[in-house]
Amino acid sequence: MKEEKCRVVENININEKYYLMKLKTTTIAKDCRPGNFVMVAVSTTFDPLLKRPFGIFKSEPPYIYLYYEVVGKGSELMSRLKENDNLAVLGPLGNSFPVFRSENILLIAGGRGIVPIYFAAENYAAGNTLFLIYGAKSAGDLNLLDRIDSLPLKKTYLYSENGSTGKKGLVTGDVREIIIDNHINITFSCGPDAMFKSLNQELAGLAVENYASLEALMGCGFGICYSCAVKTRLGGYKKVCSDGPVFKLEDIEW
Amino acid sequence: MVDLSADLGFIKLKNPVIPASGTFGYGEEFQTFFDLDILGAFVLKGIYKNPRPGNIPPRLHETAAGLLNSIGLAGPGAEELVNIIKRVAGITHTPVVVNVCGEDDEEYLEVAQIFDALDEVAMLELNISCPNVRAGGKCPAQDGQHTYRLVKLIKQNTVKPLIVKLSPNVKDIVSIALSAEEAGADALSLVNAYLGLAVNLKSRAPVFRNVFAGLSGPAIKPLALKLVYEVARQVAVPVIGIGGITCGGDVLEFILAGASAVQTGTVNMVEPAASVRILHEIETQMQELQIKNLEEIRGELKI
Repeated sequence: MKEEKCRVVENININEKYYLMKLKTTTIAKDCRPGNFVMVAVSTTFDPLLKRPFGIFKSEPPYIYLYYEVVGKGSELMSRLKENDNLAVLGPLGNSFPVFRSENILLIAGGRGIVPIYFAAENYAAGNTLFLIYGAKSAGDLNLLDRIDSLPLKKTYLYSENGSTGKKGLVTGDVREIIIDNHINITFSCGPDAMFKSLNQELAGLAVENYASLEALMGCGFGICYSCAVKTRLGGYKKVCSDGPVFKLEDIEW
Repeated sequence: MVDLSADLGFIKLKNPVIPASGTFGYGEEFQTFFDLDILGAFVLKGIYKNPRPGNIPPRLHETAAGLLNSIGLAGPGAEELVNIIKRVAGITHTPVVVNVCGEDDEEYLEVAQIFDALDEVAMLELNISCPNVRAGGKCPAQDGQHTYRLVKLIKQNTVKPLIVKLSPNVKDIVSIALSAEEAGADALSLVNAYLGLAVNLKSRAPVFRNVFAGLSGPAIKPLALKLVYEVARQVAVPVIGIGGITCGGDVLEFILAGASAVQTGTVNMVEPAASVRILHEIETQMQELQIKNLEEIRGELKI
């Protein structure tokens, strides 16, 4: 983990408020694992003051890719960055999805939660059989399907809440049947809190190991400010940035 | 060559840069970014006797050039901190300062005595000014008599140098500073975070459960400079300036206002290796301004 000056190679508007940024790094791309994130200085002024956390979508040393949604001031400034802009990036940060061999892994992504899931799919395909559930509010939020098509996935299930693409419904709608039908024993998930909450209920009682990559508002990204606290089921808090972002789904109080 | 050393009387620091409590973890988190030996000293995250979970989120709200936090002094408790300090002592020779907290005077004393007895600790900093522990931001540093009583109690029962960290959320900080000094404080550090309010327009409610939270970052620098200037003129003990420092020039401004050293806070969260840059900037700027040592300009603000 270190702070590097990275160069923007491209910052493409994928669809509406979604962007894909390619950054040239020194060591981050080489060192990162699926689940890791970076803190990006989207501005060189004091406003905003804090760096912003972005999950790593793909690593292709020396490049990393950040797929992000414009949700506020920080990501808005990020979206305006141009080719050859330089920015300070801290990373790779956080833990990563555990490594498995010869397992049936179900990847579950809600909206921009596809970020670490895509990275995991690329890295964990060898030696495992991968399945993907990818859903979002509408077709406009369900992006990068061409890239996902080229992933070595046994089966992909697409959902949209308004039915504009894939099956109409929630990401978690058929998750129980999908797990049972495909003899899934591991899940990796990333999405909004509501998705995790529902997932935690749907998966209860199934003999699967569930790893969830959480999103949080962060101050520092490396464990010193204690801002990104998430409540655990056993009481107390964990820091999403340095204890996570990947947790056992059932260890978190949803 | 310029002389960066900062003399606090009871200890001479190699330079005036001291990362502040709550913005530097327990020091070890930063060793991946730079050698802790370069620092003047560093203050560990505030500690109570027992482990504390901290406040219910949200704990953070960004503002223009600043940051409101309501962490609530989450921490592992004194016993575990002793283990951490022994580990940290193995990676650096820089003086370690323990930020002592307490729910009441007895706990402050108990915690102070635990770390007073620890060879690896150079100084104690009495945190009587955390804005995020009690609703409404109440703390001992808002009451001169309580400040006097508490500082006296700690000084009578400990031997290590005691820094008392003051709150800006008071009517008259000079009178509180004088109470702490009279009670035996060896140095004063100021200021802790300013109380601020963040509003959620949709819910029409405060962002934070404690209603108020602590504002830090560059936004508070002029306010902090003013209080450091006012206090440093009135007390004989050294003052450690804190508030929105982000560069070497800021450090020298605090020294001119009367500080003997400074603590850097929010900048450590934003830029983990900020200390390296700031130290370099202090040196360069002292050369440019032909300042040989800090004592030469300390409190020399031309009014």
